[in-house]
Amino acid sequence: MHEELSLHILDLGMNSLAAGATAIQIRVSEDLARDRLGLFLRDNGRGMDRAALARALRGRGSTKASRRNGFGLGLAFLRQTAETCGGRLRVASLPGRGTAVAARMRLSHVDRPPLGDLAGTVRALAAAAPSVRFRVERRRGAETFSFDSLTDLNLPEFA
Amino acid sequence: MNLDELKKLKEKAQRQVSLREGHKKYRVVFSMGTSGIAAGARDIMTTMLDEIDKRGLDDVEVAITGEIGLVDAEPIIRVEEASGEQVTYAKVNAADARKIVTEHLEKGKIVEGLAVGKVKE
Repeated sequence: MHEELSLHILDLGMNSLAAGATAIQIRVSEDLARDRLGLFLRDNGRGMDRAALARALRGRGSTKASRRNGFGLGLAFLRQTAETCGGRLRVASLPGRGTAVAARMRLSHVDRPPLGDLAGTVRALAAAAPSVRFRVERRRGAETFSFDSLTDLNLPEFA
Repeated sequence: MNLDELKKLKEKAQRQVSLREGHKKYRVVFSMGTSGIAAGARDIMTTMLDEIDKRGLDDVEVAITGEIGLVDAEPIIRVEEASGEQVTYAKVNAADARKIVTEHLEKGKIVEGLAVGKVKE
């Protein structure tokens, strides 16, 4: 189990990179009124078929054949965290198209890990995979922060 | 963590674009599978990025790799030289990470006490 939700996000991001994604969208939203926290990640990687997804959710992905695809314990860990914290994990995946992960949990649940260093997670991913487009959005009540590696980094521009 | 810290990310990430792929003298590969992450690999990486940035080392690029099967030795870092030489460092903590930058990446000296494997080509 990871100590921060941001480490779960890093784990998911590594899966996306291993799946050959060129675009990864990450969203974390905290709804104080409804006492909900949602963590969402979508990528355009190679996706998983039903059998591979079932293995990944059970944490049985770390056979030699599937380890090459990047499925280990990451999704199973996140599922455990979500379910422990009064929520659930949903994953939708289409082979050749991509994967979407949604983890929802109770914001105030005593076992909910802190969000932690989301900036550090995005820095690590973006520094190691500069050709991948990362879009990150964080909503907390009425506050919103967003980061987009395509527009927020110093890429060439016309004068 | 608050929104201000996320805003600082933009500034730092902008400087790190210089670490993008190219023909750099050193390539530092971080083991960032589930076990590496659980052992603290992300914070080791950001510590090294800060140190590389602070010292203005621009002949270094960074990369991350998935599970490499040495769970007990995480966090693991591999420093690859353009010449083909590779040095693996295991059980790296924050102080070690800074030392790898100041000794290996800046002065070209392998941190002997920390290195667990060397490959020369």
